[in-house]
Amino acid sequence: MKACELIRGKLAEYAVGGLRRRARARVEAHVGECERCRAELAALKRTGALLDEVGADDAPAGTWEAVRQRMTEHPRAGVRARPRWAWAMGGVALVLVALAVLLIGPPRVEEPVLVAAAEADEEMQATMDGHLSAVWAAPLSDVAGVGLRMAALENDG
Amino acid sequence: MRARLGIAAAALALCAGAALAQSSVWQAVWRSEGATERTSVVGRARTMTLAGQMTATARVRAAKGKLRLDYEAGRHSWSLIDNGRELIRVNPRAQEALVHPRPALAVDRKLAEQNYEARALGEDHIAGRPVEMIVIVPRGGEQATVKLWLDRETGFALKRERYSAEGNLTTGTEYLEVEFGAPVSGEVFLVPETWRRTARGGQGPRLSLAELGRVMGFAVREPRYVPAGYVLLGGDVREWGRRRARMAELRYTDGLRVLSVFEREKGERMGERGGRRRRGGGRGEHHRGGGRGGGRGRGGGFGFGPPGREQMTLVDRGTEKALRYFGRELVVVVVGDLTAEELVRVARSVE
Repeated sequence: MKACELIRGKLAEYAVGGLRRRARARVEAHVGECERCRAELAALKRTGALLDEVGADDAPAGTWEAVRQRMTEHPRAGVRARPRWAWAMGGVALVLVALAVLLIGPPRVEEPVLVAAAEADEEMQATMDGHLSAVWAAPLSDVAGVGLRMAALENDG
Repeated sequence: MRARLGIAAAALALCAGAALAQSSVWQAVWRSEGATERTSVVGRARTMTLAGQMTATARVRAAKGKLRLDYEAGRHSWSLIDNGRELIRVNPRAQEALVHPRPALAVDRKLAEQNYEARALGEDHIAGRPVEMIVIVPRGGEQATVKLWLDRETGFALKRERYSAEGNLTTGTEYLEVEFGAPVSGEVFLVPETWRRTARGGQGPRLSLAELGRVMGFAVREPRYVPAGYVLLGGDVREWGRRRARMAELRYTDGLRVLSVFEREKGERMGERGGRRRRGGGRGEHHRGGGRGGGRGRGGGFGFGPPGREQMTLVDRGTEKALRYFGRELVVVVVGDLTAEELVRVARSVE
C-alpha cells in the first residue's frame, strides 16, 4: 500500500516523461504488477492526450485590461478596514504609555553613587602619594607646597 | 592702497611683537627652573597648601640643582631633600628616611607653551628684591594656573602660586628672606648611612602600555577620554603596603599639570567580584548632593541614591582629587587637578 502511494506521487511526472532512468524503471516495475496504479497511469495519459488536442489558446482580447481595471478599482479587496474604535483604543494606549514614562521616568541605568570620603584608605593614599611625586617633578611645581602636602599625606597614614 | 598696506604691515608687526613678547616671557619662566644650577640659594620661605589649611615656614638651601627644605609647623619639624634622583622625607627624631624615586618627567616644554599662555604682569618686590610678575593661563582661558614672581637678577622664583582647575589658590610659597651665592655644603643633601631608609613608590613613567600589561599580567587600558591637551608620558608599577599590592600607573601631562590613572584587576580585595561592591555610610563618607537618579551630564555623569548601589569614592584635598571607580573588570583610580565630573569621565572611559 505504501509502495502504491509512493509510485502514484510520481505517475504524473512519468506520464509526461519527466522522470530519470532509475525512477522510471521503478515506476514501470510497479505498474507491471499493480492493476490500480496501471489504471491510474492510463487515466493520466488520457488526460494528457486530451490537453494536447485542445492546445493553448490566447485569452480573448480585453481580458487582461479588464482584470487590471478591477484591481485598481478595489485595491484592498479582501482586506477588511479597521473600525474607528480600534484606532481610538490605540491612541489611548499611546497616551497612557507616554504618561507612564513621564510619571515613573525612563528605565534607568543605575549610575554609581559618588561618595566623598574625608579619609583616604591605604590604596587611595598610595595613589595620591605616587601622584604627588610626579607633581613635585612637573615643570613650575611649587615644591615647598608639594613637600608640605606630602608630609600631610604621610601623617594621614 | 598704500594706506591698506600700511595697516596690514602694522598688524603683522603687532602680531610678531606679541609672539616675540610671549616667547621672551616663556624664556624667563624656563630660566627660573634652572636657577639653582647657576647659583646657590639660602633663605626662609612661608608656604601653604591644601588651599590654606596647612601652613609652615621652611628653611631653604639649594645648590647645583639640589634642594633641602627644613619645615617648621608648630611643634612639628621635618625635612625634605631633592637630590635630583630621589625625593627623601627625613625624620631626624626617628633617624628615618622615606625615599621616593624622583620621576624624571620628560615633559616637553613646547607642550606647556601650546596649552598655556605666559603673560608679564609688571614689577613688584619680594624679600626686598625687585621681581617680574608672570601669570600663566590656559590658552583661551583667563583663570591663572600659575603665578610667578621672578628675581630680576637671578631669575629665581621668590614667590609662586598654583591654582586649581576651579581657579582656587591651592599652594603658595613666598620667600621672607633670601641670599644668593652663599656657600651650601653638599652634605646637607645626604642622609646619614646609619639611618633607616624605606623605599616608596615606582620609578616614573618608563613603560609602554604593552610592557606594563606584561608586568601586571592583565591588559592595561588607556582611558578613551582625557581632557584636551593631555598627553601620555608612560606607565609604571606602583607597589604599597605589607602585602605589596600593585597597580598599573599611567601618567599624563598637559605641560604643567599631571594626571595619574591607576588600574588593577578586580578581586584582589574582598568582595570586589561577583556582584556590585557594597559600601556606604562608611566613616567620614558623605553622599554628594541629593535627589534621585539622573546624575550630572550624560554618560560620564554620576548619580545619587541609597547605599547599596555601586559607588565611586572621591577624596578632595583641595590641591588634587582622587577618584576610585569600580568597573566591570578593573578598579580605576584617577588622581589629578580636574573637576570631579572630569575625573569621573576619565575613570569611566577606561573600560
